[in-house]
Amino acid sequence: MFTHNFKYTLKNLFKDRTLIFWTFAFPIILGTFFNMAFSNIENSESLNIIDIAIIENEEFKNNEIFTTVFENLSDENSEDRLFNTTYVTEEKAKELLENKDIIGYMKLEDENPKVIFNTNGIDQTIFKYVIEEITQTSEIITEMATKEISKQFVTGNFNIDYDELYDRIIKLAFEQEVELNNISNKNLSYTMIEFYTLIAMTCLYGGILGVVTINKSLANMSPQGKRVSVAPTNKIKVILSSVCASYLTQLIGIAILFVYTIFVLKVDYGNNLGLVVSLALAGCLAGLSIGTFVGTIFKTNENTKTGIIISITMLGCFLSGMMGITMKYIVDKNIPIINKLNPASMITDGFYSLYYYDTLDRYIFNLTSLLIFSAVLIIISYISIRRQKYDSI
Amino acid sequence: MNNIIEVKNLEKKYKELTAIDNLSFEVHEGEILGLLGPNGSGKSTTMNCILSLLNFSKGSIRIFGKEMKPDAYDIKAKIGVVFQDIAVFEELTVYENIDYFCGLYIRDKETRKKYVEDAIELVGLEDFKKFYPKKLSGGLLRRLNIACGIAHKPKLIFLDEPTVAVDPQSRNNILDGIKKLRDNGATIVYTTHYMEEVEILCDRVIILDKGKILATGTTDELKELAKIEEKVTLEVHNFDNENIEKIKKLTNVDEVTFNGSSLVVTYKKGKHNLIDMIDYLKKEGIQYNKIYSERPTLNDVFLELTGKELRD
Repeated sequence: MFTHNFKYTLKNLFKDRTLIFWTFAFPIILGTFFNMAFSNIENSESLNIIDIAIIENEEFKNNEIFTTVFENLSDENSEDRLFNTTYVTEEKAKELLENKDIIGYMKLEDENPKVIFNTNGIDQTIFKYVIEEITQTSEIITEMATKEISKQFVTGNFNIDYDELYDRIIKLAFEQEVELNNISNKNLSYTMIEFYTLIAMTCLYGGILGVVTINKSLANMSPQGKRVSVAPTNKIKVILSSVCASYLTQLIGIAILFVYTIFVLKVDYGNNLGLVVSLALAGCLAGLSIGTFVGTIFKTNENTKTGIIISITMLGCFLSGMMGITMKYIVDKNIPIINKLNPASMITDGFYSLYYYDTLDRYIFNLTSLLIFSAVLIIISYISIRRQKYDSI
Repeated sequence: MNNIIEVKNLEKKYKELTAIDNLSFEVHEGEILGLLGPNGSGKSTTMNCILSLLNFSKGSIRIFGKEMKPDAYDIKAKIGVVFQDIAVFEELTVYENIDYFCGLYIRDKETRKKYVEDAIELVGLEDFKKFYPKKLSGGLLRRLNIACGIAHKPKLIFLDEPTVAVDPQSRNNILDGIKKLRDNGATIVYTTHYMEEVEILCDRVIILDKGKILATGTTDELKELAKIEEKVTLEVHNFDNENIEKIKKLTNVDEVTFNGSSLVVTYKKGKHNLIDMIDYLKKEGIQYNKIYSERPTLNDVFLELTGKELRD
C-alpha cells in the first residue's frame, strides 16, 4: 500500500501544473532575473574597498577589540581587506563625509558605537553589520569577564592575574562567537546572498506540496480524503507515504535549481556545496512541515492554503534579506526573535555563516534550529491528523 | 434474514442542532435500502456516522455483526462508498483513478487489474479509460465516481445521491449498474431525494426528515400510509362549479381541484374510480382531452406525513 500510494502521489504531483510552476519553474525564473540584475552589481562592487573613518578618541584607543578588528580589516597587505580606514577627529570625519571621501564614520562614545552616514547603501549596511558584530562580541567578553571574576572571588582568590584572564577570555570569546577576522572582502558577494534566499524560498515553497498532500488525505478536507478514510488502511501510513513522495518531488525541484544555477548561471557555491545541499535538505523538510501544519490546522480550501504558504514564504524571505540585505540587518538588530523563528532566515543565515565563518558552529545552530522547527510542526500536525473521527465534515 | 447493519438509538448533534434524533434501523443482507428525505434531513450524516467518519453523541452501530470503529479494517475492507461529491483526482486518468482507489483495498496487482476492468465495464466507461476527469461530461464523471467506490467488489455499498445532476442516459446506466451490483450479492444503502429512483430500485425505504425516521417499509407498504388511494387527472377547458360540486358527491371522492385546464380528483379508497369518472363525464356530455389515473407516490406519503412536499 505504501508503494502504491507513493507512486500515485508522485504521478499526481508531477501532473499538477500549478505545483510544478511554484516548485520547479518559479525559482528558476526568479534565479535568472537575479542573475541578470545582480551580476552587474557584483562585477562593479565586489572588489571595492570601503572608505570609512573612525573618530580616534581615547575611548576608541583604549578599546582593544575595536582597534584590533579595524586594524585587521584595514590591513593593506591582507587579501581579506574590507575597509580603507582613516583615523581622524570628528570635524575632519564630517568634512570627509561631506566631500564623499568616505561612506560613513564611527564614533565610540560611552561604550556605544555611533555610526553616521549621509546615504544608505550596501557599503553602509556592511559597515553597520561589522560594528554590530563587534558590539555583540564586546558584550560577550564583558559578560564572560564578569562571570570569571565572580567565580574567582567565590573561590576565595582575590589575587587575580588580569593579563592572563584577559587573554583567556579574548581567546574564548573568539572561539565561541562571531569570528570577526572572517568578515572579509573575499566573502562578501551580494549575488550569492540573493541565491541563498532563493534556495530558502524554493525550500519553503515545498509547503505547497505538503498542503496538497494533506488536503487529499483527510476526510474533513476533501472528498478524496473521505474516500481514503473509509478504506481499510492506516491513515498515518497513507499520509506518510504521500509526504515522502512530496519530499522526493521537492528534492527533485531543488536539485534542478542547483543544476541550473551551477551549470547555466555559473553560480559558484564554493567548497561548501555538500553543506549547502545538507542545509537545503533540512530547509525542504521545514517547508514540507509548514505545509503539513497549514494543511492540517486550517480548515479551508486548497487555494487559500496555498496562498497562506506563498505569503509565509515571501514574508519570511523578505525578512531574511531577499529583497535587500538591509532588511535582515534591521530585523536582527531590532526584533531578533522574528528571524530566530523564521525558517527562511534559518536557511539564509546558515548559508551566510558558511560564507563568513571558518567554523561550523553557527551553521550547525541553524541546521539544528531548522530540524527542531520541522519536528515541532510535524508533531503538532501528527496529533491533529491522528484524530480519526470528526465533529463535522 | 441476516442483518448487515444494525443502528441503534443513534444521535448526532451539532451544538444546539440535533441532526440525527434517536435513529434505529437495520439493513438486511442482499437488499437495497433507500434512505429517502429532503436535503438536510440527515441522510448523509447518518451514512457518515455509520462509516465512522463522524463522531456521534449516542447510540451504537454494528456492521457484519461487529462494532464499527475507525480502525475496524476488516469491516472496512468489505465496504464500498460512493460519496455525493465527486471524489477523484484530476491529474489521473479514468483507469488510474479506479486503480488507485481499488489499490487501497486490493494488494494483488493481477486481481486488481481484473477488478478495475470489471468496474469500468459495469459503469460503461470502456471508451474513456485514458481520459482525464476534466474531459468527461457530468454523467460520465458520476459513473467514474461510482466505479472508484465499488471496484474492489464490496459486500456492502453506500451510495450517496449518485445521480445528482446527471443526464437521463447516465442515470439509467447508473441505476442498471446498481441493480447488477445487488444481483451479484451486494447489500446496498442508497440515499436520495428522488422518489422515482427509490420506487425503481429499493426493496425497502426509510423516510427521514429532520433527523427522524418518519416511516419504514416497502414502497407499497409506505403508500398504504397515504390518505389517498387513487388520483384521476382530467384535462378540460370549461368546467363549471356546478359540475365540481357534483363530482365531489360521487362515491369515494375525497377532494376535487381545478386550475383552469386540469381537474384533479383524489379518492380515499375504492376500485373502478376511473371508469366511474368516465361514465359520469359521458352522462353529462362533458368533452375532455385526456384522462389518466395515478396511484399515490412516495411524495404523497411524505406530504401526508410532514405536510410538505419531498422536493421542497
